[in-house]
Amino acid sequence: MRWWSWVGRRVEVLLRKKAAEDELDDEIRFHLEMEIREHVRAGVEPVEARRRALVSFGGVERFKEEVRDVRGARWLDDLRQDASLAIRSFPRQPAFLLAVLLTLGIGIGGNVAMFAVFEASMFSALPFQDPDRLVMGRSTFNDGERLGPVVSGYDYFDYREQSSTLTSLGAIAPFPQRVTVRRGFEAERADAVWVSTDFFEALGVSPVAGRTFRAAEGEPGSPPVAILEQGYWQRSFGGDRSVVGGTLTLNGTSYTVIGVMPATARFVVDADVWLPIHRGESWAGSRSAHNFLLVGRLAPGVDVASAQAEVDGISNRLAAAFPESNRGKGLLLTRLRDTLVESYRSTLALLGGAVLLLLVVACANVAGLLLARGSARRGELAVRAVMGADGGRLARQLMTENAILALGAGALGLLLAAGIERGILAFVSMDRIGDLEPGLSPVAVLFAFALSLATVALFGAVPSLGAARRPPAEDLRSGGRVSSGRRAARLRGGLVVGQVAFTVVLLSVAGLLLRSLEMLRSVELGFDADDLLTAEVDLPASEYTRDARIAFYEALRDRVQTLPGVTSVALASQLPVRDPGNNWGLGIPGEMEGADGEKLLAHQRTVMPGYFEAMGIPLLRGRDVEPSDRSEELPAIVLAESAARSLFGEEDPLGRIVGVDGSNGPRPHQVVGVVGDVVLDDPYAGTPPAMYYAFHQVAPTRMRLAVHFREGSDRLAAEIRQALRALDPGVPLDGVETMTSVLSRRESAQRALAVLVGAFAVVAVLLAAVGLYGVLAYQVSRRVREVGVRMALGASASAVTGAVVRGGLALVAGGLVLGFPAALVAGRLVRASLFGIQGWDPTTFAAVGLLLCGVGALACSLPARRAARIDPTEAFRAD
Amino acid sequence: MTARADLLQGSLDLLILKTLDLEPLHGWAVSKRIQLLSRGVLEVNQGSLYPALYRLRDRGLIESDWGESDEGRRVKVYSLTPTGRAALEREREGWRLFSAAVEAILATG
Repeated sequence: MRWWSWVGRRVEVLLRKKAAEDELDDEIRFHLEMEIREHVRAGVEPVEARRRALVSFGGVERFKEEVRDVRGARWLDDLRQDASLAIRSFPRQPAFLLAVLLTLGIGIGGNVAMFAVFEASMFSALPFQDPDRLVMGRSTFNDGERLGPVVSGYDYFDYREQSSTLTSLGAIAPFPQRVTVRRGFEAERADAVWVSTDFFEALGVSPVAGRTFRAAEGEPGSPPVAILEQGYWQRSFGGDRSVVGGTLTLNGTSYTVIGVMPATARFVVDADVWLPIHRGESWAGSRSAHNFLLVGRLAPGVDVASAQAEVDGISNRLAAAFPESNRGKGLLLTRLRDTLVESYRSTLALLGGAVLLLLVVACANVAGLLLARGSARRGELAVRAVMGADGGRLARQLMTENAILALGAGALGLLLAAGIERGILAFVSMDRIGDLEPGLSPVAVLFAFALSLATVALFGAVPSLGAARRPPAEDLRSGGRVSSGRRAARLRGGLVVGQVAFTVVLLSVAGLLLRSLEMLRSVELGFDADDLLTAEVDLPASEYTRDARIAFYEALRDRVQTLPGVTSVALASQLPVRDPGNNWGLGIPGEMEGADGEKLLAHQRTVMPGYFEAMGIPLLRGRDVEPSDRSEELPAIVLAESAARSLFGEEDPLGRIVGVDGSNGPRPHQVVGVVGDVVLDDPYAGTPPAMYYAFHQVAPTRMRLAVHFREGSDRLAAEIRQALRALDPGVPLDGVETMTSVLSRRESAQRALAVLVGAFAVVAVLLAAVGLYGVLAYQVSRRVREVGVRMALGASASAVTGAVVRGGLALVAGGLVLGFPAALVAGRLVRASLFGIQGWDPTTFAAVGLLLCGVGALACSLPARRAARIDPTEAFRAD
Repeated sequence: MTARADLLQGSLDLLILKTLDLEPLHGWAVSKRIQLLSRGVLEVNQGSLYPALYRLRDRGLIESDWGESDEGRRVKVYSLTPTGRAALEREREGWRLFSAAVEAILATG
């Protein structure tokens, strides 16, 4: 017979098992009927006829069994029998079942969730045309020593015009600006993002209505145009097509809407409106203001290396032509897909390592449970072996049980995975492109299935095979109370040592992350962040002249000042932590570059007089900005302490002249004061240098409020809004948030990582404790008689207790000895995610050691107490 | 015990193939036909008839189809396949050799 018809027949048997059985029944019934009829025809009584027929047939069920065997479904029946045996036996040990399912379920769930996150972030399709030809361009400084994400406007224009290996090179300013959109009488706030005119062309995204920008629309003096994001267009304009071609007012300027782009055109930052970058604008028209992310499309047949070579040539030419700004500066091209993953690859790898460790600990635990169960079941298996079941069949039965357990755990894991994945995605911030929907793909489900079966190999094989290979007679002789199994006990001890070691690693990493979070929280912010409400106001430049803006903000400050519960009001163009803002080159004119050739970059902000006092920032020297600071020739400037020190060292900075980079060269300012350093951006970044302009000098359209309030001022935001409305009902209050919430948002990534790894570590500790307890409890129960003899011979209860605890702690100690070197390596691997501490932080390691010893002692105490309570007479009677 | 069973099993296959070579039959009829043709000498153990039928079908020597009995009942009817016919020839040759050899041994002294 040909092999495929054989296979076909097996498959048919599997598929049509029920039908085949019915067929068989019919055939037998027919045969018996014919037989009976013949007997009756020969004059036999019907009942007797039936009996004879059955006798001659020779037992219907036995016969059916034979036919089934012939049909080759034997192994399937065995499997079914094993499975039903296993499933029937499970409810008899609910604790065992629950322990295994939960332990493995959590382990598998964590891994499946991480797999899903990996899969989604690494392999999900970027929503752009031919995305693998897209590259990202980032600035390098000091001959490649430092990598900055953003590129300056003029450099960008030169790269775009001179490159032939890139068919297009787009730029985006990855800082959305809140703008006031007016259409008719309605006003609302929206996120505007500036992009180069060929940005969408580079991405390969087409508009859903209208058109994209034309090159001419990026030139200075061209009429203002805007493109709407599809979702925003739907939400705010009801998807009205007549909006395209019409006008709307952004911050007081009228723009023509030329098109609508799909949500897939969002790149790195969310946008409601896209506006073209104009070549002449101050923030684009400079080589020293770095504001743009670049995305390029490789020309057909060009690889990243050759594009990079060409770009390097352009960089060298720029450095030669503009040494002041471009010496040592370059542009690094990397594949877009790789670049996007770069920022959170280490976080994902860390979490992936953590869940893998957890799974190993879980498997060790389950292996321990199975070993214990295997020892207890040795009697049962021995009986079955004597009854004629061969060793292979017994091993198969045990493996079937394990596989069922693992698949059950896998199913539970899948349920958990969906939740864990959502947690990871919610916590771990990713600069992502397109939508990263939480959800398990078929591949992830397959992964869960494969992982479940893999765990069987990890936890199941050794104990099952060991149990089945034993000669049955030995086990029967011991009367079910097993005397041997020293090997199994040693194996279990080894498993506990391994579990503790892995737990040490996991716990150490979690501890390091928690300590980092603590360090992060204890960073001196440099200002009073408690009970501080922040908000922002943006005046339309077209309606408010410079003097009107000054008058408006002074009036707003005075009104808010008098609101009940308000203790102080500060106004600034950017608030610490909340609005990082831009940094600009700052230096002493004539010597803008320091000794190391690197320019001092300082965050700039414009502050209202009284800002420092209201914010609790100490004035160290000189004076605050004043309403009279309006000199056109020599504007006043206040420096943060770090900026003043790096420029002037120990010299007195007051009255000195400093230059601030601008599109028309450095602009001189006179230092009038020095204030304390403040955290301006992420608390990670410490307190960068800062410089403060006078509000009455600059008079920006947009200012932020920082209002200190007394406790219980719930209605403060509403009252501020009311005060604002009284001044101008057309100006909305935006971005209302307490500083506490801003800070908590800033540390959320660090917190998420600490919480997730911490949760995994806690589970691992519990598992290790349960594993240790299991081993000791089992040892005590096995050695009842031995302990009884000892106590009869005069051993005290405390000696017995001590022996058990010593045995347990020896296992813990073994785990610690193995675990700490591994934890040191792990600490090195995760050092990028740490803040303020080293990977070998002694506090953390000491705490981990103490914690595990404590938990170990706790796990020992119950079995030890039981051992101490053993009554020698009972122990002997147990035979 | 085992040897005899094997022998019977081998010859039973041959007998089934031969009966079905004459015409397609249902299981009960096969057993009756063998009994009849052997003039009552060979009584087929019915418990081994069906396993043999299924085995032969699995090996592709016979095939089954649904037909009607004399009383119009739906029954499974077995018939010989071309492979089966070839196998019958082979088995028959084998049997002749075998029985002739046994006969030759028994005929001596």
